[in-house]
Amino acid sequence: MANIALKNLTYTYPEAQAPTLNHVQLTFKAHQFTLLTGPSGTGKSTLLKLMTGLLNLPSDQGTISYDGQPLSQIDPTMRAGQVALMFQNPNQQFAMDTVENELIFALENRRVQPDKIAEKITTALAFVEISNLRSRELNQLSGGEKQKVALAVIVAMDSDVILLDEPFASVDPAARTSLLKRLVQLRDDAGKTIILADHDLTDYATIVDQVVRITADRQLTTMPTADWPNLFAAFAKTNHSDQLWPLPTEPQTPLFRFNQLGLKQGQHELLRTTDLMLLQHHNTLITGPNGSGKSTLFESLVRLTTYDGQITYLNNDIKTLRRKRYARQVALLFQDAETQFLNITVAEELAQSKKYAYGNYFTSTRIALAMTQLNLTGHEDQVIYTLSEGQKKKLQILLMLIMQSPVLLMDEPLKGLDLKSVRALVSLLKSTIAVTKQTLIIISHQLTGLTPLIDYHLRFDHQQLTYREAIE
Amino acid sequence: MNPSIKLLLLFIIALEISFTTIISLNVALIVLAIAYLLIHHTKLRTIGWLLIVPLLPAIGLWSTQYINGSGNKTLMAWVLFSRIYTFVFTGATFTLTTNILQLADSLEQNWHLPAKFAYGVLAAYNLVPKIQHEVKIIRAAGLMRGQQLSFWSPKLYFKAVLVSINWSQNLAQAMVSHGFVEDAPRTHFRHCPLVWQDWAIFTVSIILMQVGAFLLPWH
Amino acid sequence: MKWAKAWRLSDIILIALIGIFFGAIFMGTNYVYDVLTAALAPVGLSGLANELLLGLWCMPGMLAGYVLRLKGSATLGELLAATVEMFFGGQWGISTLISGVTQGFGAELGYIVTRYKHYDWLGLTASVLTTTLVTFGWDLARNGYFKLQLWLLILYFVVRFCSMFLFGGVLTRLITDMLDRSHVLKSTHTNN
Repeated sequence: MANIALKNLTYTYPEAQAPTLNHVQLTFKAHQFTLLTGPSGTGKSTLLKLMTGLLNLPSDQGTISYDGQPLSQIDPTMRAGQVALMFQNPNQQFAMDTVENELIFALENRRVQPDKIAEKITTALAFVEISNLRSRELNQLSGGEKQKVALAVIVAMDSDVILLDEPFASVDPAARTSLLKRLVQLRDDAGKTIILADHDLTDYATIVDQVVRITADRQLTTMPTADWPNLFAAFAKTNHSDQLWPLPTEPQTPLFRFNQLGLKQGQHELLRTTDLMLLQHHNTLITGPNGSGKSTLFESLVRLTTYDGQITYLNNDIKTLRRKRYARQVALLFQDAETQFLNITVAEELAQSKKYAYGNYFTSTRIALAMTQLNLTGHEDQVIYTLSEGQKKKLQILLMLIMQSPVLLMDEPLKGLDLKSVRALVSLLKSTIAVTKQTLIIISHQLTGLTPLIDYHLRFDHQQLTYREAIE
Repeated sequence: MNPSIKLLLLFIIALEISFTTIISLNVALIVLAIAYLLIHHTKLRTIGWLLIVPLLPAIGLWSTQYINGSGNKTLMAWVLFSRIYTFVFTGATFTLTTNILQLADSLEQNWHLPAKFAYGVLAAYNLVPKIQHEVKIIRAAGLMRGQQLSFWSPKLYFKAVLVSINWSQNLAQAMVSHGFVEDAPRTHFRHCPLVWQDWAIFTVSIILMQVGAFLLPWH
Repeated sequence: MKWAKAWRLSDIILIALIGIFFGAIFMGTNYVYDVLTAALAPVGLSGLANELLLGLWCMPGMLAGYVLRLKGSATLGELLAATVEMFFGGQWGISTLISGVTQGFGAELGYIVTRYKHYDWLGLTASVLTTTLVTFGWDLARNGYFKLQLWLLILYFVVRFCSMFLFGGVLTRLITDMLDRSHVLKSTHTNN
C-alpha cells in the first residue's frame, strides 16, 4: 500500500526554456484508480517517469515520496516492487524474445528464487488471460497482446503502484476493455494503486476514483466529481461528427484499386480479403478503432509492408512501379514527425522540400505566409529536434505540402495539436489543395475542425474496410 | 557443451588455422564440423547453403593467389580456398546449435559478465527485425522528400543514429521498469553449468589441434 | 570491474543498435561486393572488392568511439556488431568475431594514441590510420596477403587506406558533424 505525495515538484528538460512541470503539489491516495489527463505533450509522461525514478529529479526541485519515504532514498533494487510503469509504445518495452523469457527476466531481476518463477508466470499469465501466449515471440504479437504481456509482467513483479502512460494508443477495443477490467480487479482485489495517463477519455467515467488534470501552467489539479460529466461529454464530441458523407460512385479511373487485398500483423489478421477503390481529387477520411490496421494499410500503400492480393495506382500494380518515381507520386505523412525530417534546422528542411518539390505552388512568399499562419515564423534557424511536439507536427505537414506529391496519405495529422493549430492547418490545407488538386487520404481520430475537408468516409473495423455515410 | 567454452575453442581454432597452411588440416576440420552438424540434425539444405554462399569469395581468394601469388602459388590458393570453408563450417557448429540467449547466460553465469552487457545486447538483438524495417522507412522517407539515401549518404546514418539513441533510451527505461538494476545481483532461472567434461573436451580438442598442426606428416 | 562501471545500460544498447543499424544498411552493399568479386576473379584481383568496401564495415567502431567517449567503446561497438552479425545470418562464423575485434581495436588505437582527447579530425584520422594498419596486419595472415606479389600488396594497402579514409574518416566525420549540430549527443556520456 502506498500514498504517493508530490511536493513542490518542478522539472525542466536540459534543452528546454520553460519547465515541463511547475511546482506540482498532489497526493495520490493508496488503492485508488486515478485518471491523469491533459493534452498530448503536456508532461504526463515526464511525471510518470519521475514517479518511477526513470528520470532523476534534482534534489532541490521538490520531492516524490511513497508513504513518507522519498523515492530517492528507496533502494533501486526495491523500486520495481514499489512502482512499475507501462509504456505507450509497446514495441520498445521488452528486452527478450518470447513472452515467457521476458517474465523470467523480470522475476530474476526481482531476485525471485528459481523454483518459484514458473508458478508466478503461470499465475500472472492466467490473470491477464493470455496463458496461450506463453511461448510466443513478442515480435509476432499485436499491440493489444503486447500490452497484455506488459501488464502480466507488472502483475508477476507484484508492484504496489502501477503507472500507465497512454497504454492503449495501439490497442484494439476488445483488448482495451479486457485490460481495464484487469486494472479494476487489481485495485479492488489486490489493493493496487493505479495511475493511468490518457488523452482519450472513453470508458473511464464509471471506473476511476479520481481525475487529475495537468493545467496550462503545468500544475496538477484534482477535478471535482461534479465536473466529470462535462469533461467526458466534451471529449466524446471531439471524436464525433453529425455530418453525413455520400457513398462514392464507381469512377472511370480509380486512384487506388484493391484487388483481393488482405493484411496481417504476425499471425493476426487485420483485413479480410477486400475489393475497394479510392478516388482521385477527393479527400477520404479513414476512421476505426486503435489497432485495427489503419497505419498498416498506409504502409502497404507505400510498399513498406507486405500484403496479400493486389494494389493498383492509376491502373498500375504498385509493385511494378519504380520506387523512386512512385514515392514522388504517393507520399506518406508519418505519425511520428521526426521520421519525416532529414536535416538539422527548420530552414534547411524548408529548402530541401522546395528544391525537390513536384510543383511550384509554394514560392518563397507562400512558404513565409504559411509559416506565419502556422505560428512558426522566427523558428527558421532552430534545430528541429528542440521544437515542441506541436511545432514539429506543423512543420512536418508544411514540408509535405510543399512537396506537392499528387497523393498525400496522412496518418493522424492532428495528433497533439491544440484547436487553434488545427484550424490554421485545415485552412492551409484547403487553400493549397484548391489550387494543387492533390488527393488527401487521412487517418484521424480527432474530427473537430477536420470534417470540412472530407469528401468520403471509410470505416476500418472488424477486419473490414467499407464506405460509410456516418461516423458511428 | 558449455556455450562460452565452445566459443573459446572455436575462436582458438579459427585463429590457429589463420596462421597455418595445411590443406589437409582444413579439410579434416570441415569434415569433423559437418559430422557434428549432422549429429545435431542440421538440415541437408542448410549444409548445402553453407557450401554455396562462400563459393564466390573462396574463388576470389583462390584466383588471387593462383594468379598473383608468389612461391608455391597452387598450394596457397587451395589453402585459402579451404580456409574459408573451415571458417564457415566450424563457425556453423556454434551458430546453428547455440543461440545468443544461451551464450549470454553462460557469459553472465560462468564468467561474471555484468548483466547489463548480456541483456543490453540481447535487447538490441531482439530488435533486429524492427531495425531492418526502420532502414526501409528511413529510405522511403528520403524518397518522399526527393532524396535517394544510399549507403554513402551521411543522412542515412545520421537518421539511423538518431533512432538508435531514441530506442536505446526507451529500451533501457523499459528494462529498469521491469526491475533491472545495473550492477545488482540477480537470480538465474535457466542454469548454465560449466563442468569438468567441458574442460576435458576443450583440452583434448586443443591438443588434437596441435597434433594436427605440428606433428602429423600430412604430405 | 571498474572499467565496466562507467558503462550505463543505455550506452550498451546504443552502440549495439548502431552496429545493427549499420549492418542492416551494409547488407544492401553485398551486391556491389559480389559483382566486383566475380568480375575481378579472372585477373586475380578480387580482393579489391573487399578493400574497397572494408572502410564501411569499420564505421560502427569509429562512430561508437566518437558517440560514446568511453574507453573501449570503439572495440566494444565493433565487437557487438560482429556478435549480432554472427548470429543473424552471418555465414562467416567465428571469423566475424575475430574481424570485429581487430577492426574495433584498430579504431580504438586511434583514440588511444590521441589519448581520448581528440574527438575531431585528428582523432578520426589517427583512427583511420591505425584501423588500416591493424586490419591489414591481420589479413596478411588470414587472407594470405603475405604471399602476394609486392605491387599487389601495395595496391591493396593503398585502396584499403582510401576506403578507410572515405568511409571511416570523411563519411563518419559528416555524420558526427550532423550529430553535433543537432545537439542530440548532449545526453550521452563521456568519461573525463
